[in-house]
Amino acid sequence: MKTYWRSIEELADPNELRREEARQEAKQKSLLLRGDERLTASSRRDFLKTLGFSLAAASIVASCRKPVEKAIPYLVKPEEITPGMANYYASTYFDGTDYGSILVKVRDGRPIKIEGNSLSPVSQQGTSARIQASVLNLYDEARFKGPLLNNNPVTWETADREISAYLDGGKGKSGKTVLLTSTIISPSTRQIIRDFISGTPKTEWIQYDASPASGMLSANKLCFGQWAIPDYRFDKARVVVSFAADFLGTWLSPVEYTKRYSAARQLRDGQKEMLRHYQIEAGMSLTGANADVRFPVKPSEEAGLVLALYNEVAKAKGARTYSGVSSSVDISGIAVDLLENKGKSVVISGSNDENIQVVVNAINQLLGNYGETLDWNTALLTRQGLDPDMERLLDDLKSGQVSALLVWDVNPVFNHPKGAEFAEAIEKLGLSVSFSERKDETSVVCKYVLPEPNYLESWNDFEPKSGIYSLAQPTIAPIFDSRPAQESLLKWMGKEQKYHEYIQKTWAEKYYPRQSVFADFRLFWNDSLQKGVFELVSPVEVQYNAEPLSLAAAKLEPVKPGVELVFYESVAMGNGKYANNPWLQELPDPVAKISWDNFAAVPVEYAAANGLKNEDVINLNGLELPVFVQPGQAKDTVSVALGYGRRVAGKVGEGIGTDLYPMLPVKNGIRSNYLENVTIEKVPGTVYELAISQTHHSMEGRPIVRETTLDEYVKNPEAGNEMRNEVLANSVTLYEKPSFNGHHWGMAVDLNSCTGCGNCAISCQAENNIQVIGKEQVRNRRIMHWIRIDRYFSESPDNPQVSFQPVMCQHCDNAPCENVCPVAATPHSEEGLNQMAYNRCVGTKYCINNCPYRVRRFNWFQYVNNNRFDYNSNSELGRMVLNPDVTVRSRGVVEKCSMCVQRIQEKKLAAKLEGRPLAEGEIQTACQQSCPGNAIVFGDLNDPESRISKLFQYKRNYHLLEELHTLPSVGYLTKVRNQA
Amino acid sequence: MRKKLPVPARLLLYSLLFIFTLFFLIQPRESRGGEQLRTATALVEGHSHEDIKRGERFFLGLLPFERKSASCVSCHNLTPTDTLNWNPSAMGIAVKYAGKDFAAFQSAVMQPSGKLMEEVHKNFEIQEEDLKLVKLYLDELAIAGPAAQKPTINNLLIFLFVGLLITWALLELIFFRKIKYRMIPVVILLAGLGLQLKMVVEEGIKLGRSQGYMPDQPIKFSHKVHAGDNGIDCKYCHSTVEYGKSAGIPAMELCMNCHVVVREGTHSGKFEIAKVVEANEKKIPVEWVRIHNLPDHVFFSHAQHVGVAGLDCAKCHGDVASMDVVKQVSDLSMGWCINCHRETNVKFSENHYYDNYIQLHEDLKAGKIDSVKAVQIGANDCMRCHY
Repeated sequence: MKTYWRSIEELADPNELRREEARQEAKQKSLLLRGDERLTASSRRDFLKTLGFSLAAASIVASCRKPVEKAIPYLVKPEEITPGMANYYASTYFDGTDYGSILVKVRDGRPIKIEGNSLSPVSQQGTSARIQASVLNLYDEARFKGPLLNNNPVTWETADREISAYLDGGKGKSGKTVLLTSTIISPSTRQIIRDFISGTPKTEWIQYDASPASGMLSANKLCFGQWAIPDYRFDKARVVVSFAADFLGTWLSPVEYTKRYSAARQLRDGQKEMLRHYQIEAGMSLTGANADVRFPVKPSEEAGLVLALYNEVAKAKGARTYSGVSSSVDISGIAVDLLENKGKSVVISGSNDENIQVVVNAINQLLGNYGETLDWNTALLTRQGLDPDMERLLDDLKSGQVSALLVWDVNPVFNHPKGAEFAEAIEKLGLSVSFSERKDETSVVCKYVLPEPNYLESWNDFEPKSGIYSLAQPTIAPIFDSRPAQESLLKWMGKEQKYHEYIQKTWAEKYYPRQSVFADFRLFWNDSLQKGVFELVSPVEVQYNAEPLSLAAAKLEPVKPGVELVFYESVAMGNGKYANNPWLQELPDPVAKISWDNFAAVPVEYAAANGLKNEDVINLNGLELPVFVQPGQAKDTVSVALGYGRRVAGKVGEGIGTDLYPMLPVKNGIRSNYLENVTIEKVPGTVYELAISQTHHSMEGRPIVRETTLDEYVKNPEAGNEMRNEVLANSVTLYEKPSFNGHHWGMAVDLNSCTGCGNCAISCQAENNIQVIGKEQVRNRRIMHWIRIDRYFSESPDNPQVSFQPVMCQHCDNAPCENVCPVAATPHSEEGLNQMAYNRCVGTKYCINNCPYRVRRFNWFQYVNNNRFDYNSNSELGRMVLNPDVTVRSRGVVEKCSMCVQRIQEKKLAAKLEGRPLAEGEIQTACQQSCPGNAIVFGDLNDPESRISKLFQYKRNYHLLEELHTLPSVGYLTKVRNQA
Repeated sequence: MRKKLPVPARLLLYSLLFIFTLFFLIQPRESRGGEQLRTATALVEGHSHEDIKRGERFFLGLLPFERKSASCVSCHNLTPTDTLNWNPSAMGIAVKYAGKDFAAFQSAVMQPSGKLMEEVHKNFEIQEEDLKLVKLYLDELAIAGPAAQKPTINNLLIFLFVGLLITWALLELIFFRKIKYRMIPVVILLAGLGLQLKMVVEEGIKLGRSQGYMPDQPIKFSHKVHAGDNGIDCKYCHSTVEYGKSAGIPAMELCMNCHVVVREGTHSGKFEIAKVVEANEKKIPVEWVRIHNLPDHVFFSHAQHVGVAGLDCAKCHGDVASMDVVKQVSDLSMGWCINCHRETNVKFSENHYYDNYIQLHEDLKAGKIDSVKAVQIGANDCMRCHY
């Protein structure tokens, strides 16, 4: 069996790590005691004093009058609302970067949870951690409470009067007006903007992507004449070659891609084939961690590799080859694999270099992938910004050609490399308006702030991919005094129209006539609104143009010497737009398992040679950053996440991590993802504490993740899981086998489908009122997440294999935690659940100590209404996100995964009311429902026909530490790698 | 030797002391509102405290000395009562007329509308001066709120008395040693302690429970009149009881289904119904006082009990149809829930949801059991109600 290691320290000396962990544990305990030194030397007198105090306290508590509870009825009860029951509304999430068609769960007028919309062909019921966490953005204290002029409240009327007068050319306006937006995929909004441009003198519209795909767009324009990105059908692919495109984590449409990728790698239901994934990248990304074969290379080497791959393919196809930059890595194997799967492969690159993208297009063209795995009919439209436009805008701003700037949903002052110059230029403008919903670096330099409502408060329509439409509808009345930016634009054009009506008009004119299902627009509208999505795909004729290739191949840049600094977006934080969201801040990075910071990931070899270890500080071109020794980091590279170091974001996000945007190089107006030739210096004697959850939850080298290769698996489905037979054969017990009348809930996790993206952790957090505890407490190993995703490395530290494993309470039928509880706070239910009665728990933590899976969490502090934990639960507004169906735990009690018992109860009741048996798949746990990898299955083990029962019969199925005879109700399916 | 009491005795004394404090501090739940205390100076501007005091006396019937009619307070209660007094309370009147001028108040008192009021008010002979003072007093009342109620102290007195007895017995045992039969103080001590312990335990268990809770409501709404006398089905108003978690407090518009016509009650006259009409017109919902309160960590569903199990409302709520003022009949304790689950049969064969309880169905068929109780399908699992 492979040896798995969790960190470099463990690989070096596992025993030392264990000793270190023990020391840490002891330190924690001593810290606890320090505050109460009096207790250690307590006398009888002290005892009496304490007794007296506690009795007095108890009596004061007891004497508190019970509050008089009020029951306030509706004046007029809305028909669809039953108090205490949730309603679901189809809507859409789009933050200018990521798209997701969603269902919003609304309880008593409050949106409290986001689920994926199963009807959407794009997100296919999946969500990402950021989409899950977006519900908390609604209840953010950093949102604007109303319109502002120079940071003072102003009325809408005054603002409208002044702004429209200025825009119409009055008040000394000399230059042009620029409307700077994120990518707008709303057909109605685009129409409004077009009208606005034509209706207002000297007006220009620029779209700016904080996470640009500029190089790709211009390459596609050159090669195909398309201002879009083809639809990557990973589900149809057999081979995927990705050059540093983190398509499972942050690249373009990660939820959609994860859905398809997992579908092509799932070995359930008799599937015996799976996609093979090559990843060529510098830092260990989420996608790289899932790859079957990964090549760690410097980013400047990518051009050579892409060209080499093209030449290999071209040679085989008899097409023209190009000489140019060379590559040091032999990738002929990949070429062979690709050629064997012509029309069934995908080659992608995350580079923003147009030339690389042109060559990548040529490879895909040679392989005949267009029309098969790359589809132009449903091209992706979520990136439309071109980097040079921003350079031009900056020049215009500086030269005074622009006198009015309307900033909408973008934050260039923070996330443009020349943000500081933007800030300076904007401050000098005659008119600057920000439509931002919450405060950010750009809104503070703008004169006017005319806040738009949160997406959960607004109407909108979207076209994320050509011909695929979706709608957003408000699920709560606007909490603050806000107005859709579309209505502002309409108003300044002199039109008094609600945006909602405008959308309906657009749909009535544009889409209703082109469909044939409904004979009445209202029916069509209601149906689209209820489903949230509408499809009207028409085929597109696209011609490939090979001409740009020779020029592009010649322009490819050669490998540079020296260390390269690689910039990436982290899965949780992205471009930092929602840095004020504590859920996202506390979500550990999928690979490094660090939360609340960005850090410099340095290669293992380099760290060893230069005496660097985790939490040391290095100076990178003058910027000091904490070190994390990252296995798999390419030689001569250092990776740092963007999106941190927000200066104006709100109390949670400000000053977390370091801002790397100013270091991003811009070459010929194009933003590059890496910086060449950086100098690294160790800052001696400095330690920067990182909230690393990596060495939490030690599994002590036991066969926790079981894996095999595809070849082995095809030969023997039991491969990698042989030890299970031995365990089962040796399974003897003195006790009666537990049996369950009615239901016996169980869960299966397919390790082959889990990509480790962290969506489940946030979904669980939103569903189960899990509290944020902050960096210090995460460091103290007290993170509250009920589902954690363990990440294990194996093989060589320079290019390791990575396994992800979500671990939640295993709901053991012979649970070690249950029989040590002195107050019976955690008994077993008649349905096989390991129950946790918070009100019985007295906090002995015996259960935590006796749980071999380390899934129980202790509330060391009161996390709600406590100024020491100043996150969402410390304000009335932030607490509106709480799920009323789940108790908010207080200090001193243990908590853990309940398998979403509130959902089980809800669906059981629904079935009982209808007098029918529960249907298969009717109950979905929060982690399962929106999993973009479809990795989690929940169901009734007592029903032999259920999916879960069948999965438990698979040869791949095993249970964690089942040799302990804990009889877990959670099973894992072995991970299968498709290695050549 | 005698300087200090022995440790156990002192411990006992300490703990007794604490328990005393505890009991001093425990006060019964106030039925509603009224935290504000009357201040010495008048809150209504431009009037002396004497005027208000005079108005109060008049209201209470202490002035004038020779009255021909009943005093105001004899019908219009100043303090909440346990029995339903149909007439508007002093507070209710005060609040209603607080913002209105004297003329409106005068005409309401002197030219009564509605049958009930006419009968009582028709022979009123009140000087305008006096009535003005009454109005003044009521205005003051509306601002200051009703006088705080004093806690009942019967239990506390008994407890203190027993405590004294115990103290005496202790002192007797250790210091005085006057009684020849040592058994007497010992028996008193033990019995006293036992009694006190019993009281503490009983009071402790009652903490957080409120069996018998019977607060006054903002409207003198009688379930007896509606559900009993007029036979309106519970579900007409509490319409979500069969499918929702909560039974539902009827929306204000629902009241108007009937009260758009019914504007005068047999008992209450027009005053109370006018509140419902006003709430609808002003779009301000009535804030009822909630009687049945479960702790926040209990998730109870009416749908499960009424919709699925088909339980009668009275099983938990008592005979509401005979209550003018609703009170909490059951103690709503966990023991009470669990006992019921042990005794109540499940509609096991009728509801196909239970089809997958195969073993139980076989046992039923084989005659091993004749019915399935709720507890047998896991109704007493912790996570049925606590999650």
